[in-house]
Amino acid sequence: MLTVKTWIVQVLFLLLTSESIGELVNPCGYITPESPVVQLGSNFTAVCVLKEKCMKSYHVNASYIFWKTNHVTVPSEQYTVINSTASSVTFTNISLSNTQLTCNIRTFGQIDQNVYGIRIVSGLPPEKPKNLSCIVNEGEKMRCQWDPGRETFLDTNFTLKSEWATEKFDDCKTKRGTPTTCTLSYFPVYFVYLEVWVEAENALGNVTSDHINFDPVDKVKPNPPQNLSVSNSEELSTILKLTWLNSNILDFLILKYSIEYRTKDASAWSQIPPEDTASTRSSFTVQDLKPYTEYVFRIRCMKADGKGFWSDWSEEASGVTYEARPSKAPSFWYKIDKSHSHGTRSVQLIWKALPLAEANGRILDYEVTLTRWKSRLQNYTVNDTKLKVNLTSDRYIASLTARNTVGRSDTSVLTIPAYDFQATHPVTDLKAFPKDNVLWVEWTAPGKPVIKYIVEWCVLSDRAPCIPDWQQEDGAVRSTYLKGDLEESKCYLLTVTPVYADGPGSPASVKAYLKQAPPSRGPTVRTKKVGKNEAVLEWDQLPVDVQNGFIRNYTIFYRTIIGNETAVNVDSSHTEYTLSSLTSDTLYMVRMAAFTDEGGKDGPEFTFTTPKFAQGEIEAIVVPVCLAFLLITLLGVLFCFNKRDLIKKHIWPNVPDPSKSHIAQWSPHTPPRHNFNPKEQMYPDGNFTDVSVVEIEPNDKKPFPEDLKSLDLFKKEKISTEGHSSGIGGSSCMSSSRPSISSSDENESAQNTASTVQYSTVVHSGYRHQVPSVQVFSRSESTQPLLDSEERPEDLQLVDNVDGSDSVLPRQQYFKQNCNQLETSPDMSQFERSKQVSSVSEEDFVRLQQQQISDPIPQSCGSGQMKMFPEVSSADAFTGPVTEGQVENFEAVGIEAMVDEGMPKSYLPQTVRRGGYIPQ
Amino acid sequence: MDLRAGDSWGMLTCLCAVLWHLPAVPALNRTGDLGPGPSIQKTYDLTRYLEHQLRSLAGTYLNYLGPPFNEPDFNPPRLGAETLPRATVDLDVWRSLDDRLRLAQNYEAYSHLLCYVRGLDRQAATAELRRGLGHFCTSLQGLLGSIAGVMAALGYPLPQPLPGTEPTWAPGPAHSDFLQKMDDFWLLKELQTWLWRSAKDFNRLKKKMQPSAAAITLRLKAPGF
Repeated sequence: MLTVKTWIVQVLFLLLTSESIGELVNPCGYITPESPVVQLGSNFTAVCVLKEKCMKSYHVNASYIFWKTNHVTVPSEQYTVINSTASSVTFTNISLSNTQLTCNIRTFGQIDQNVYGIRIVSGLPPEKPKNLSCIVNEGEKMRCQWDPGRETFLDTNFTLKSEWATEKFDDCKTKRGTPTTCTLSYFPVYFVYLEVWVEAENALGNVTSDHINFDPVDKVKPNPPQNLSVSNSEELSTILKLTWLNSNILDFLILKYSIEYRTKDASAWSQIPPEDTASTRSSFTVQDLKPYTEYVFRIRCMKADGKGFWSDWSEEASGVTYEARPSKAPSFWYKIDKSHSHGTRSVQLIWKALPLAEANGRILDYEVTLTRWKSRLQNYTVNDTKLKVNLTSDRYIASLTARNTVGRSDTSVLTIPAYDFQATHPVTDLKAFPKDNVLWVEWTAPGKPVIKYIVEWCVLSDRAPCIPDWQQEDGAVRSTYLKGDLEESKCYLLTVTPVYADGPGSPASVKAYLKQAPPSRGPTVRTKKVGKNEAVLEWDQLPVDVQNGFIRNYTIFYRTIIGNETAVNVDSSHTEYTLSSLTSDTLYMVRMAAFTDEGGKDGPEFTFTTPKFAQGEIEAIVVPVCLAFLLITLLGVLFCFNKRDLIKKHIWPNVPDPSKSHIAQWSPHTPPRHNFNPKEQMYPDGNFTDVSVVEIEPNDKKPFPEDLKSLDLFKKEKISTEGHSSGIGGSSCMSSSRPSISSSDENESAQNTASTVQYSTVVHSGYRHQVPSVQVFSRSESTQPLLDSEERPEDLQLVDNVDGSDSVLPRQQYFKQNCNQLETSPDMSQFERSKQVSSVSEEDFVRLQQQQISDPIPQSCGSGQMKMFPEVSSADAFTGPVTEGQVENFEAVGIEAMVDEGMPKSYLPQTVRRGGYIPQ
Repeated sequence: MDLRAGDSWGMLTCLCAVLWHLPAVPALNRTGDLGPGPSIQKTYDLTRYLEHQLRSLAGTYLNYLGPPFNEPDFNPPRLGAETLPRATVDLDVWRSLDDRLRLAQNYEAYSHLLCYVRGLDRQAATAELRRGLGHFCTSLQGLLGSIAGVMAALGYPLPQPLPGTEPTWAPGPAHSDFLQKMDDFWLLKELQTWLWRSAKDFNRLKKKMQPSAAAITLRLKAPGF
């Protein structure tokens, strides 16, 4: 029961599926042609035919058809509705493409439905095959090939057909990969004409090539001859015999041959004349070969009538010709050792090994014979190519032959002249030049008949000696090239020696390069002399090893750092050059290039600086200037000397004697003493550097002699009473060399110009409630050391000893006190202070000293002392007539003090301007 | 034995076919207007070529037959190969033959020989031997065509196969394997003799034709003088 059910279900399923598949597979219409192949460029028309059933179900007819190519709708202009069921589309000028063409209908509701589709394949019909040709490799089947013509873009079959008049042979179908060649399936029958042609066929048509009719034997390519062998002949050294095996084709064919040969080292083949090998053979003798030379041979063959093809070349075979006697005499030359002792000469005979082409075999040895005049022969057998013999001073004849297994060469004869022989007749116009990568040498023959020439050459170098190579040339030769391994850019020294019957002639030499090159390095330039506007450059000639050619010229490049480079060409013979028009005091960079014919090379750069002045220019300026200065100085000294009195008067004026003045006479305390120390005594201890000048007005001359007198007197008195004043020289407080003023003791200070001199006494009327006192105005330039006394007690002691009194100490104390005063009452007005100082009488002063003698000495005296100067000077300025010297001294001090205190002083211009006494 | 009988019948049909086809062929070696000379030369070369082929083929085939056939001094009496056309002929008879008869005899002989060789072809065991025999057959066929061409060029009619004189490769009822091999041996031997004879014939013909050709050339040139 179950199985029956299953069976029914299966049948139903099959029915249903087959029904539905039938519906699906059954198209609504079709296109003709079904699978078109269209020729490129032609027109193509396709027709779509709708089925009645479909038309009914979709309610469409042929006018509903539209076409698509590769999913693109074709314009409706190309459609043609043939009838209610069929519509066609036409394409013109089909191009190369694989086109999918579909027929569609547009049903109700704008639904597009595909009806049918085809694929259009386009291409070209085959072209007529051309150039059909066949070849029969011996023992193989015939192969033909042809030119298929243009590309068809379609599958094209080529068939090679062949037939006799009586029989057709099997066709030869090309393989897919090789459509232009085909090998027939049967062995060709020679001597029977065969007709062959090619048929090409594709979907668009077929075409047949021209028929060719030939005898296959005329297309034969024979196998190359086998087992080629070469044998020589002892009888003839110039022949070699070739033998080989021909192929079997020889049984019914006549062959011809082509034989080629070359020497082992050569690359180019020579051919034996074809007419000598135009018939079937299996051996051949090659003639006119060089003795003792290895030759290589090869051979090929083809049909004698020239129809067919040459075989491949046979394998190469080589053979050596037999030896022959040397064909030429060796080149022969000699060298004489210059030293000549004990009547013998050492002569080295040298010769060249024969080249293989001339040796014609292996040279066994050389035979040398030396003949002296009227003497027997000396024979030597040498394996080498040189022989050293000791000869007397006489003339010798040397002869040389080379020997191989077959025989001996001709004899080379050389005359070795006597010791005193003078060589003459050199060759002339000797020239050497490179051509075709060899070095040629040519010369003009001397007037005498020459047997041969010897050409020698060697490399000129500083590093190695000249080791000559040589070659021999025939007497008729006028030019030759050097047959040696010459190197480029080396300097060769070539020597040509003619050899005459009686001995060698004079050699002639020339230098040459096979190929020049730029020098390896440039010349090193340096300065020989550098002037202000010129520099002499010098350099060394380049060594021959770096020249690499003939130095034709030098070029000097020079420039400043910023300037353009200037080039100067210098002839190669120079080693020095003067650069002119240089700028002075400028850095120049100079380098030099040497040029051969092939180019130049720069040397290192050299830097030099031109001097600011030319040589001697400084001297020319300095010497006259110095001389002039000297002269002026001399004149000045002379002038000073002549006018010394005047100068003296100017510098050390006579101080007017106050005692002679009327005022001096009024003062009973001050005796009219005056002392004027000469200059020598002014600086007894040398510490006094400032000079106090008392200028005396020229019109005040009257008291002058008296002054002097009184001064002398005064001096004497002072010396007798007090000795030297300690107020002069030494260092003041703080070791200052400034003059200090002490108005304390006029007696002491009268020792020098700077000593305190009382020159006026001013009597004031009383100021306010004070009793007017007589003020004694004195000046002092004492620079009495004050603080030094603490530091240097010995000085103090000395002074004490000299003075014999204690006046120094109190003076110091006074100053100390003064210092203290200044410090304790800094706000005291200047006027008051000056008054205070000035109002101190001599007695008061002493009193003060006594009062304060026990007071401690303040340590900060320095500043006080410094401050004191303006006070004193200002007091002087305000109060009394001041000598010129004092004023000047004070002026200097005053300026300093003024700067210190920043206070303007009115006295200074006053005194300076006046330049004389201020009248009281 | 059946095979032998079949072979003989095959040969008969073969011969008929050859003779039927060939008369229709004017000349295998088309020589254009040059006369029969070149085709005679070609035919002569072809006989030489066939000799060359047969030399190597016979060696192979005799080896295939085995001893004593492949022994160099094996020279059996001619037995059972009576139907093979005989190449040997009395020298005077040969000299008395004219060109037409000479060519016709050659033609007839090779027609028969070809059929026998085709029989060998079918028996041959090795592929190489079959290939060699096949090529030889083709070449023999070419020779037949060549001879026909020469005869046509010389204006001789091809010999018609006469029903009475047709070759009777009468398959003997008691043909042993050895005798069969003997037949093959004699076939090869006879082929060789015929090729020698043909070479001679065509060489003679060639020589005979050359003067006449020269005479024609001279005659043609004469009016120029």
